[in-house]
Amino acid sequence: MTITSDNFAASLQKLGLGGDWEWKNGSWWRTLDASDVRATAASMVSLEARLVAITAMERPDKELRLDYQWDLKGQLLSFITATSMQQIASITDLCPAADWVERETHEYFAVEFTGRETTKPLMTRPGDPIGINLHKETVQ
Amino acid sequence: MSFRIPIGPYHPALEEPYKLELVCDGETVRDAVMHIGFNFRGIEYLAERRNYLQGITLVERVCGICSNVHSLSFCQAVEQLNGAVPPERALYIRVILAELERLHSHFLWAGVAAKLIGFKTIFMACFTLREKVMDALSAISGNRVNYGMNRIGGVNRDIADPQAVLNILDEMERDITRTIIPIFLEDRTVESRCKGVGILSKEQAVAMGAVGPLARASGVGQDIRRSAPYCAYDRFDFNVPVETSGDVRARLVVHALEMVESCRILRQALSTLPAGPFHTTPPVAARFKVPPGTAISRVEAPRGEVMYQITSNGTEIPERVRVRTPTFMNMATVRFTVLGQDLADSPLIQASCDPCYSCTDR
Repeated sequence: MTITSDNFAASLQKLGLGGDWEWKNGSWWRTLDASDVRATAASMVSLEARLVAITAMERPDKELRLDYQWDLKGQLLSFITATSMQQIASITDLCPAADWVERETHEYFAVEFTGRETTKPLMTRPGDPIGINLHKETVQ
Repeated sequence: MSFRIPIGPYHPALEEPYKLELVCDGETVRDAVMHIGFNFRGIEYLAERRNYLQGITLVERVCGICSNVHSLSFCQAVEQLNGAVPPERALYIRVILAELERLHSHFLWAGVAAKLIGFKTIFMACFTLREKVMDALSAISGNRVNYGMNRIGGVNRDIADPQAVLNILDEMERDITRTIIPIFLEDRTVESRCKGVGILSKEQAVAMGAVGPLARASGVGQDIRRSAPYCAYDRFDFNVPVETSGDVRARLVVHALEMVESCRILRQALSTLPAGPFHTTPPVAARFKVPPGTAISRVEAPRGEVMYQITSNGTEIPERVRVRTPTFMNMATVRFTVLGQDLADSPLIQASCDPCYSCTDR
């Protein structure tokens, strides 16, 4: 199936990824409940979508907005979700490409990806502080 | 008997730091663990503490090889937010810069690969060709690296004499056709050294999110220039070379054929360069303050897709700058490609995914 901007909504509906998609500034966007992150990742993997990135952003309520970006047949899909108590379920067991991305996000924003066996440092070294990209002073 | 062999973080073959721990049974690699981050500079952190104009200069220093794609991607994202529309001539010049950069990056890679194969004559030939591209880039931008060409709303310099670049292109195309293509596609020594070595299956490439020539050598046919065209790529006729064997030879073939396609794109862009201005001039205030919102820009760098996500809160400083580079996704595949291979082949296998640690570590 070729997914284009014209048949996007109908195509995603057929693929079981319906919802209020909005095209804006280089990506298709929709919100996602944090509890659906793993189910959505499983769907994307089954459709041979490619994980592009997980982008974390600080929110005023101390939680982190997380955008999960996937490339599905050339279309960029961004699922906007958020952590709860700075935690969210890991998708690494479903999508190996998420391993380094989650480890990096953990180091930069102190997000805890639950369900991982370990979250070894990637850019930093064992014992270094985490949350190094947070706008407040570094948290331990 | 098993041996654990630490390699790095400083390498005689690839002059960039990373560490690889190989577990070997005799000469056969059984496991591999990678350590990166030796070049970590906190580029995202720094970009969120500088204004947008400073950000262009900063992100161009993410990488010393594909510097242009970073500033291009950054500017494209900002242009989506502030509505600046680059003139047609600027879009063509951006394509020309991007393809020259791809050529010099591919020549660099081909030279390093040839050296690791043991074909030093071709290493010299590749670097001679690369110098010609660098001369063209220097003539256009005034710099051999960090060209400073991209600005929000266009480019900083015009290409006043496209014919001069076309003349360099004539020479390059001839040498690529006479030297690089026959060696990489037909030479028996190259074939025996690379065929069946370091295989990455299509399934592994998709699962690991591999991009660029590495993915295309494993049968994943995506190229952002084709699947999500930007600049003026939708105006040009070009092929996206794809191989299915997933081995080092397939990566050589894809890189070599991509050189030919880059020359095709360059010839079309230089021959049909539209007249007119090469940048827009927004009001001074609009150059610094960007309306609130989030935008994403994707560009096909020499090593694959680069993604920038920029979030503005309406001030002069971006709220968030996310930089996802191709090698960040590609490098993790080495763990699969070295398994079961001869220890002696591991440098070539690592190099064959065209790693860039400056990009990876940022």
